[in-house]
Amino acid sequence: MANYKKPIPEPDPHSKPFWEGAKAGKLMLPRCADCNRVHWYPRLICPHCHSTNIEWFQGSGMGTIHTFAVQHRAFGGWADEVPFVTAYIDLNEGDRMFTVLRGVDPNKPESIKIGAPVRVEFEAASEDVSIAFWRAV
Amino acid sequence: MPGALSRAAAIVGAAEAKEIGYPETPKTAIQLHIEAIKAVSEQTGIPISRINGVFGAGWSSQIAEYLGLHPAYIDTTSVGGCSFEMHVHHALAAIHAGIIDVALVTHGENGWSQRATGGRGTGRARGMDPWDPGSLYTNPYGVSGAPSNYSHAMTRHNHRFGSTPEDFAHISVVTRQWATLNPRAVMHSKETHPFGGPITVEDVQNSRLVSWPLTLLHICLVTDYGGAILITSPEIAKSVKTKPVWIAGAGESMSHSNMLEMDDFTATSAAASSAAAYRMAGMGPEDMEMAMVYDSFTITAGITVEMLGLAPRGEGFTLWKDGHAAPGGRLPINTNGGGLSFNHSGMYGMQLLVEAYRQLSGTAEDGVNGLKGKQTSARSCVVNGTGGSLSTTGTLVLVSD
Ligand SMILES: [Zn+2]
Repeated sequence: MANYKKPIPEPDPHSKPFWEGAKAGKLMLPRCADCNRVHWYPRLICPHCHSTNIEWFQGSGMGTIHTFAVQHRAFGGWADEVPFVTAYIDLNEGDRMFTVLRGVDPNKPESIKIGAPVRVEFEAASEDVSIAFWRAV
Repeated sequence: MPGALSRAAAIVGAAEAKEIGYPETPKTAIQLHIEAIKAVSEQTGIPISRINGVFGAGWSSQIAEYLGLHPAYIDTTSVGGCSFEMHVHHALAAIHAGIIDVALVTHGENGWSQRATGGRGTGRARGMDPWDPGSLYTNPYGVSGAPSNYSHAMTRHNHRFGSTPEDFAHISVVTRQWATLNPRAVMHSKETHPFGGPITVEDVQNSRLVSWPLTLLHICLVTDYGGAILITSPEIAKSVKTKPVWIAGAGESMSHSNMLEMDDFTATSAAASSAAAYRMAGMGPEDMEMAMVYDSFTITAGITVEMLGLAPRGEGFTLWKDGHAAPGGRLPINTNGGGLSFNHSGMYGMQLLVEAYRQLSGTAEDGVNGLKGKQTSARSCVVNGTGGSLSTTGTLVLVSD
């Protein structure tokens, strides 16, 4: 954990449930209590109906690949890991997250399929912050 | 029928800084601004003191102060490379409303020189708010700069429409043909750059992989640039020594700021911004005789011409692949050599405007900024800037008399 050399996010006051969930290995997501739609990233207002009645719930941690790329140039701690695959993930509950995708071969991008199922996992980057990553299943 | 703002103002001049591209001596952003502003004032005969509206991407008050101006209209819209097309839209409205009658839109950016100056002289604050959603939810995942984001759009376009990176490589090849006609283009020839001059699809595909599926030659340059245009009321436009290029239509829109919120990775808000511009102009894509479209990446240009209605969905790249966009083609596109091969300072919207003005005013082949074969016969041009991560767009329909 002390060896985590890549950027560690600094959680803001509005997304505490997500980061607390991440430390416990749970994918916590924000949902509008009025229109029932999930949104990502977390907000103080629902981007669909503009209700401020937002609740948090535990998501399934499952999704599919929306699109991806293979990074051959990176900076800081990520420079040591090139090539690696980045992807946008369609959550089963709706909306989309960004991730470094695990369990795929960056040297064979043609073997990675848009629409393929993925599962979330968490890596402890520090005492306080765990980061969500997605893995092909 | 054209809207009320159509042709309510004209671009009457467009000029650049003395040295652009990769200057031997490092430049500052303010120097690039000032050289271009001085040049456009001399070109049009409009004194700098006559400017009463100042439009710049985040920096207009500093520019006005530096020039000793006290403008009646100050616009700092800074939403990426399309900001300058939006400035033209806003200047058109301000002139139509009678608030101002001489608007300066200016750009200076030392994208190249800041490597030598250690990031100084950019006129920009550095760094990002750690609590910004982009910092929290995308930065932990190793993306760094535009190429690492735009590649995701190419993958999705290929998946959805069956297009290939090779299809998009034709955009680089044809755009380079235009650059060989522009002596100021970084990639004009072997004299301007060791890798300048004509290229093939194989060259593009065999260049270094940066962010699969994007190789280096699918990606724009990083250069210095200074550019400025003057926009005036019709009365002033008719009295100056340069030719007016009329703003027939203008529109702007956005789909997202961070790519995390991009709904359709194969579409941009240029569909909406161009619809507004065409509606104002009372014209449509079939009336456009050339196009200047932002080509930060081949995928940017390919998607954009689809959004502008110049090609069917999924087939934008065919305009280049089939040679229509090339010198002598039926729809010349990016006649300056583009962000891919001419110049791209970080924000490229001003470069689009300067070349569109030159083409429509018949000055695109002056021996300095263009050789024989660069001037087209076009009298209408659709200009589309794209900013951020395929986020924001500004579209203009420009016409000459
Ligand atoms: Zn709602």
